[in-house]
Amino acid sequence: MKKFMLASVLALLASQGAHAETFKWAGTTDPQTMDPHAVNSAPVLGFLNNVYEGLMRRGRDMSIEPALAESWEALGTDGWRFHLREGVKFHDGSDFTADDVLFSYERATLPQSDVASWFATISDVKIVDDYTVDFLTTAPNPIFPDTIANFMILDRGWAEANGSTVPAKDAENFATRNTNGTGAFKVVERQPDLKTVLEPFDGWWEEATHNITRAEFTPIQNSATAVAALLSGEVDMINPVPTQDVARLSSNPDVKVAQGIEARVIMLGFGHEAEELKYGANAGDANPFRDARVRKAVNHGVNVDAIVQTIMRGAGEPVSQLVSSTMRGYSDAHAARYEYNPTLAKELLAEAGYPEGFSFGLKCPNNRYINDEAVCQATVGMLAQIGLDAQLEAMPVSNYWPELRADNYDMYMLGWAPGSFDAEHPIRFLVTTPNPEKKLGSWNFGGFSNERIDEILPLVQSEVDDTKRQALLDEAAKILQDEAGYVPLYVQALLWGTRENIDLVQRADNFFILRWVTVN
Amino acid sequence: MTNTSQPDAQHKAPSRLAQFWGSDIMWKFRHSPVAIVAFIFTALLVLSAVFAPLVAPHNPFDPASLNLLNGFTPPMEPNAFTGDAFLLGTDDQGRDVFSTILYGMRVSLFVGFAAVSLGLILGVSLGLVAGYFGGIVDAIIMRVADVQLTFPSILVAMLIFGIAKGVTPPEYRDEMAIWVLIIAIGLSDWVQFARVVRGATLVEVRKEYVQAARLIGRSSRSIIFGHILRNVLSPVLVIATISLALAIIAEATLSFLGVGAPPTQPSLGTLIRIGQQYLFSGEWWILLFPAATLLLLALSVNLLGDWLRDALNPKLK
Repeated sequence: MKKFMLASVLALLASQGAHAETFKWAGTTDPQTMDPHAVNSAPVLGFLNNVYEGLMRRGRDMSIEPALAESWEALGTDGWRFHLREGVKFHDGSDFTADDVLFSYERATLPQSDVASWFATISDVKIVDDYTVDFLTTAPNPIFPDTIANFMILDRGWAEANGSTVPAKDAENFATRNTNGTGAFKVVERQPDLKTVLEPFDGWWEEATHNITRAEFTPIQNSATAVAALLSGEVDMINPVPTQDVARLSSNPDVKVAQGIEARVIMLGFGHEAEELKYGANAGDANPFRDARVRKAVNHGVNVDAIVQTIMRGAGEPVSQLVSSTMRGYSDAHAARYEYNPTLAKELLAEAGYPEGFSFGLKCPNNRYINDEAVCQATVGMLAQIGLDAQLEAMPVSNYWPELRADNYDMYMLGWAPGSFDAEHPIRFLVTTPNPEKKLGSWNFGGFSNERIDEILPLVQSEVDDTKRQALLDEAAKILQDEAGYVPLYVQALLWGTRENIDLVQRADNFFILRWVTVN
Repeated sequence: MTNTSQPDAQHKAPSRLAQFWGSDIMWKFRHSPVAIVAFIFTALLVLSAVFAPLVAPHNPFDPASLNLLNGFTPPMEPNAFTGDAFLLGTDDQGRDVFSTILYGMRVSLFVGFAAVSLGLILGVSLGLVAGYFGGIVDAIIMRVADVQLTFPSILVAMLIFGIAKGVTPPEYRDEMAIWVLIIAIGLSDWVQFARVVRGATLVEVRKEYVQAARLIGRSSRSIIFGHILRNVLSPVLVIATISLALAIIAEATLSFLGVGAPPTQPSLGTLIRIGQQYLFSGEWWILLFPAATLLLLALSVNLLGDWLRDALNPKLK
């Protein structure tokens, strides 16, 4: 597969010639769907931000700015009113109206949608007129507009005509491979795992500032291949640059490396709900991870500094919470990680009744986060030193998420970037008790559950006073840390490599926005 | 020089070892420097792989013995954090490269031997049957062989590997990977054996001893395996040796492409695949040493096979 992919990339590059404004870029992960409501992951939403648009969008510095809504205002404490932009067209030429917003809301809140929890506090959406729409909330929600920048609008007529009114998460429908957005670019060719071709949309409502006439995305899983492709000019940009090649690429005059800290926290999760272990020699035994002491032992057993220093070569920052220190609501009071202390970890295990340790299964992706598989391998080694025998299975993301949804793990790796840049976001998705009806905890695969946190979440969401809000978030951070619900590892680095003639904007959420690219 | 390569042991009766040492083939061996050097290297590599647990300074598959801070230590230089030094350096996980090579070679050799054995048993049996019975049986077997020969064997192996991966449940994939690899390479390899054995069988079938055996009423099976088999074996030995080198390379190729031995049981090919990620960044030892070992192993076995072919070829005398 990889071979064919490479061959077709080479063939493609050979046939394309040197048209200056054709921009080619490569990433490790292919967006697994073109449906903006089907999978809430950065590769999908980041890519589709070029094709679809939301009511608002994030600017270069991550600030919220108007997109399909020109302005919005709070309706007291009842909700929010959005005034929509007039004269916006979808790629197929149909008009954008309030009805499309209502339709997209209904579609995004279906049980099959992966983004339903964005609307957990919304009770109803009402069309006022063709270009005005109200989102009514169950409780005051001061940050709601900040949280829906990735809520992308589909055309009702197009979706209905093509049988795609329901998002297809693990299956496929028309919207999985085809798009009809209002964004600056339209998809002209889509070959999953092979290439995706975009062209500028002539009827876009805003004046384009980029100079791209055609853009091609190719997933290249092998990091050395990606670097070779960048060095030889076969691609104009790669994301990420392998950590080991940053130094070399930075010293090469033909290429540039853009470095930053991503908002993404890499963590390990536990099966909290599972009664039994599922993998390894102890499969079928009672699940030790239900005991907080065992979870703390794992926290003490992982040497995050060594991972960052060796595997990430310094590109990353150890982290104590599910958000990085630059996010709103980060708890300064809980900035200390569990220290690396294998002796203490062994004591905790013995105390919990596992002096000899036990064997279990660890699932990891191998093409999603920077050095994900290597980090998991290192974790296996470190856990072995405290007596835990982790059976590692690493797989591509396209298989990985279904495995997690099917609860096929004892421990797993997860990276989380809060779309709202706020500490409330991971609580809503990863920490609060999963509740499909209320659209909560949709990525809390292990089923961590704590009554007080479930109480805190709605309070945080409706609290207008910053100090009180921070106190609530601090309390949640403390509970999560005391319970060792996750093992927060480190904040991932942003490492983009480009040819020297490319100007672009590196946004902290690792979204690559084509309309800010200039090919010189 | 006598003109037979078959053991003519019965009349003289010195010790078996002396007999072997004095045999035609050993005389040729002693007079071929290439064969001696190739043999020494092969023996050295195979023995160090077999006795890897005794030879290797570390067990790279015992995660508890690894120290991540040892990662990327250059050969023969003390690590900046731990002060540990390693003969051939360490990889990204702090594993000793020398030890991983020894253990990796075990996997490579095991897969190679097992795959060649599979191909040999399958190919020799089918070749004997095709040559002995002739007619429609021969036609069917040899046409299948011809069709398979038109595909590169690595593609056939990838196809078999892909199908096997599709039907095994994911949790068993890592454990099954080695066996699937053996079957994939073995099945892509039988044609060589079958063709040669069939040709030799066609010649043998017309000889008097076979006619005689038929006349006294021996069964086909006893004629094939009791009489013909031992007379067609010497070319098989040659092909088997050369196939071993090819099987080791095929395994490395598949593992390099990521469809072979899993990282938890790395073969030389897997080690090379891991190492090539660090080629640009200057950690050359992670790639170079496994690659050089693979080269040395395949070259030695190949030279040995080449020499054996010449030594057993009556036409070159």
